[in-house]
Amino acid sequence: MVALVTVYPALYAIGISTTDANLLRLATSKAVGLANYIKAWDDEIFTQALWQTVRWVVVNAAGQMLLALPVALFLNTAFRGRGLVRAAILIPWVVPGAVVAIVFRYLVDANYGVANDLLLRLGVISESVAWIGEPLPAFGVISTATIWSGFPFFAVTLLAALQVIPEDLYEAARIDGASAWQRFTKVTVPLLTPTILLLLLLRTIWLAHSVDLIFLMSNGGPGYNNYTVALYSFILTWNQLQLGYPSALVIMLSIVILIASVLYIRSIERSREWM
Amino acid sequence: MIATYSRTVFGRAPWSALAAALILFFVLSPFYWVLNIALTSEEQSFTHGIHYLPVGLTLENFVGIFEAVAFGRAFLNSAVVAVSVTTVAIVLSVFAAYAFARFNFRGRRLLIVSLLLIYMLPGILLLVPMMVIFRTLGILNTYPALILAESTHAVPFAVWLLTNYFASLPRELEEAAQVDGCDRIGAMVRIALPLAVPGLVAAALFVFIASWNNFLFAFMFTSGENVRTLPVLLRMFAMGESSVQWGKIMAGAVLTTLPVAAAFLFFQRYLIRGLAAGAVKG
Repeated sequence: MVALVTVYPALYAIGISTTDANLLRLATSKAVGLANYIKAWDDEIFTQALWQTVRWVVVNAAGQMLLALPVALFLNTAFRGRGLVRAAILIPWVVPGAVVAIVFRYLVDANYGVANDLLLRLGVISESVAWIGEPLPAFGVISTATIWSGFPFFAVTLLAALQVIPEDLYEAARIDGASAWQRFTKVTVPLLTPTILLLLLLRTIWLAHSVDLIFLMSNGGPGYNNYTVALYSFILTWNQLQLGYPSALVIMLSIVILIASVLYIRSIERSREWM
Repeated sequence: MIATYSRTVFGRAPWSALAAALILFFVLSPFYWVLNIALTSEEQSFTHGIHYLPVGLTLENFVGIFEAVAFGRAFLNSAVVAVSVTTVAIVLSVFAAYAFARFNFRGRRLLIVSLLLIYMLPGILLLVPMMVIFRTLGILNTYPALILAESTHAVPFAVWLLTNYFASLPRELEEAAQVDGCDRIGAMVRIALPLAVPGLVAAALFVFIASWNNFLFAFMFTSGENVRTLPVLLRMFAMGESSVQWGKIMAGAVLTTLPVAAAFLFFQRYLIRGLAAGAVKG
């Protein structure tokens, strides 16, 4: 039953992507075949958004990983207040995206924001920067906000994977005279790698389709500079009530992601056979 | 304790304290600024410029946000939708998950895999079809539209988490109850359900948080004040005004975050356990 409720819309999306449907004149929409799919490649906003999607996914997936891994390793050691830190790092994860966007927009606000104030005092910049108004700084701020709210879940999942590594393995390595660093590289890393690779895949899929923070923080702006494919499709639907063309864009995105995921999983399996 | 201590290359006390402090600073400092601005009157903020401490603590922004926009109504809308989605998801998924975990029927594996695939389907792909369907049904801008839309993600997730949870419970207890004269449903309700409470709490909490925080569906399917939820209202208020009223915005942000943060802190043990179980097994 549940399957029906969701599979039907997915098929519906494919159907509608071959029409010129618009929500305002739904009854008169015509079938246009693959025209939407072909049209996209002449659409500069789309081709630009493709590269911006890649940049967005790579920077944010890598950023979250690079932050989550050391945090998880650290939380797996015994220290005072460990329970407190473990609960605290998950707090950003429960904060609504709309609030995350507001907070980070405030922090970099040109008039009131603390980021400009600190950088001015340190002499890094000589006058207030309108962070959200410039292409690259806007990307940086949106990515920082995304990493801040996304890394906790990553870290806690890694921590769970760390905690199921049997203590005996470390014991055995120690008896064989392995140093702390060797125990890390020869026991922890190989046993953690499958989890890391899986999490990176899931994060990539999620990031490629996520529009919330980019939209909430800058509407994809300035201009089209931070449009991803998903955001472009979303804005076309929201702003112009188009249905056909944006559906085609998202379906192309999903197909690319699907193929990339399969290749990724294959290559992981192949490299495992190697080892 | 000593066992965990040896696990990684980290571990000496002063360095641990420093690392913990750094992590906490990165994670928590944005909240400090939210409170700092929310608790300072907008006039004070304006005259002082950037202030690293609150100036003349006041709650006037928390009153002001209710006067500036229909904040109370949005709060109610968010609560109605999130509670409904949670109820729908838990009621539907308890039975489905129990069946997946305990019965071997034709197509069981296929159904489980398709549920996971559905969970992975991006919301953005479902946006357009849902829009058309809701419009055809004439339920755009109503609670049911939002509840249905959010359930497409909430139900598969809850089924998946609870299936794992039921599967981890020993079957023997229910079999013993059946030997003692309980029927199948009785065994489930009296034995399995009470044991699954931690899993149920984790699933309910996760669904509630996801629904409360949902922006995409709420933004697309609610344009009127009567059904507008908090995230949508906050965006409108923060983006719409010509002179940005940071004090009221931050007060709104606090009130929007409070319910989910409180629920999370209260039940976090369940949540972490539930998520870890799901994530590792998945």
